[in-house]
Amino acid sequence: MGALIEFRDVCKFYQMGDTTVKAANHISFQIQKGEFVAIVGQSGSGKSTCMNIIGCLDVPTSGAYLLDGQDVGQMNKNQLAEIRNKMLGFIFQQYNLLPKLTLLENVEVPLMYAGMPRSERHERAKIALEMVGLGNKLRHKPAQLSGGQQQRVSIARALAGDPAVILADEPTGALDSHTGREVLTMLQQLHAAGNTVVLITHDNSIAVQAQRIIRLEDGQVIYDGDASAPEAVVRPDAAGKGGMGL
Amino acid sequence: MSVLETFQLAIKNILSSKMRTFLTMLGIIIGVCAVIVIVGLGNGMQGYIEDSFADMGTDSLTVMIMGRGSSRSVSEEDMYELAEENSEYLKQISPTVTMMGSVKIGRDTLTATSITGISEDYFSMKGYEVVQGRGLQYMDMTDRKKVCVVGQYLNMAYFGGNAVGQTLKINGNTFTIVGVMAQEGSELEEGGTDDCVFVPYSTAARLSYTGTISSYTITVQNTDQISEAKAVVEQKLYQVFSDDDAYTVTSMAELVEEMNSMVNMIIYILAGIAAISLVVGGIGIMNIMLVSVTERTREIGIRKALGAKESAIMRQFVIEAATTSSLGGVLGILLGYGLSALATSVIANVMPDTPITVSPSLLAVVVAFGVSTGIGVVFGYLPAKKAANLNPIDALRYD
Repeated sequence: MGALIEFRDVCKFYQMGDTTVKAANHISFQIQKGEFVAIVGQSGSGKSTCMNIIGCLDVPTSGAYLLDGQDVGQMNKNQLAEIRNKMLGFIFQQYNLLPKLTLLENVEVPLMYAGMPRSERHERAKIALEMVGLGNKLRHKPAQLSGGQQQRVSIARALAGDPAVILADEPTGALDSHTGREVLTMLQQLHAAGNTVVLITHDNSIAVQAQRIIRLEDGQVIYDGDASAPEAVVRPDAAGKGGMGL
Repeated sequence: MSVLETFQLAIKNILSSKMRTFLTMLGIIIGVCAVIVIVGLGNGMQGYIEDSFADMGTDSLTVMIMGRGSSRSVSEEDMYELAEENSEYLKQISPTVTMMGSVKIGRDTLTATSITGISEDYFSMKGYEVVQGRGLQYMDMTDRKKVCVVGQYLNMAYFGGNAVGQTLKINGNTFTIVGVMAQEGSELEEGGTDDCVFVPYSTAARLSYTGTISSYTITVQNTDQISEAKAVVEQKLYQVFSDDDAYTVTSMAELVEEMNSMVNMIIYILAGIAAISLVVGGIGIMNIMLVSVTERTREIGIRKALGAKESAIMRQFVIEAATTSSLGGVLGILLGYGLSALATSVIANVMPDTPITVSPSLLAVVVAFGVSTGIGVVFGYLPAKKAANLNPIDALRYD
């Protein structure tokens, strides 16, 4: 069986005025089922582009992105929507909960678009919210919760559809370090339970919580390996890059 | 996501901003209300026209003979013969001679009183009844007797309710009152239906200046065949005169129909003008929906990221627009009914003689509701399309 996520020579170019921005420049990697991978990079490194492509929100300019063996680049908008719904669980930096809906209804949204009957949806959403410790706040609105709690709702929403990949985009970015750690612990628990987790971050201290790190710079992979290796956090040729350093 | 759930979502969104929704709907409310009241007013006017003409008898034809010089004419015998020959269509006939002139009772001269020469059949044709004395009889016609039947107004106002046996003068000729007609109008008043004198047509013809009978009233066997009956009479008269300017045959039913179609046309024009405000209301809805799409860009992005297809987003916004406008339609219908009731009582107070009941038709209500929903769909389409086409990446980043 092949990898769950496979980037084959993925490129994403944007035209900005006269210059072509190479947001992803021949990126290739594979992520196996059950892995906990952090994609790390400074802003402009191409990690957001990678996140959009993995999340099926965008398609590569060239190269191929295979999700569970299917070539996402060949899909139309409806198929992309369906694959987002079935295969992916999103956790966003800004939580992105719908303010007018209750927690239960928020978690139900992806299930609703999957066409699940109401009673089953309720049940699943309730279980997901109980798992993140918010089983007693089903009828609350997001605005009544703290940031950490809201992020837990968004984790519940990501989990409820039982997706193949949990895609977390800077999940701790809007949280203080304490609640941030709680969210990371939760992601690690999800990984331990057998889920595939992809974490996108610019923060090395967060990235090292993962199993494996893919480091991006200028749209290219500059490191792909064990998160505990020293090269994972220290740029190997920082001196050589001159003006690009911090 | 089913249509029902989308509908529930739309209701939720509409309720979350009541003031805005109400203002958005206002155009539709006013438009629907205006259409309903105008159509209701039209129905009321038609009803009023029909009621007033029903009194005059929609089962009768009026024949006017203008003649063609002195060479050709029809006598009343010819006309009676005509009626008899075509008895499958025509029921009864009576000459009606309208006399100009004044009635004098004692020292009072009455100018508003209508004086009509009729046959003995006229009362039964019109459904009039005699409450005192007797009606006019065949012998009165043949003998050209100077007798008359008076309306209830004259009886009450000038004879203290005991008119039978008394006399009155018409253009100087003394007539004996032999009967009193039952009250026909709603009120006894000068110049009203009950301010009348009926004399034998033969007497009237002799007293009038021309001496000829120029007008007849014919009742038909079956009101549904009034057009055929009219054609028969016209055909016979054409055989006599060879000129269709020499006579006219009018049926009350046709007159009512003509007036109704005129009222209808006016109503359609007014309703059309009112419907313009529906279009304006639709544009208002479109405007607000476009604003709403912009405001909810992030929501749309989230929904799309979580797997909403374009069709689902599209449906959400179209249904929201349609729900808003059809809700406006329902409110407009309710307001329309309220205003109709109000208008009915205002008309009854201001013009007690012409009681028009403003009654909105069910059809108008159904059409108004359908049109307002349709407007929501049509004018919701563009904003919905805009929402559905949003790029999820940009929409998610939108603040």
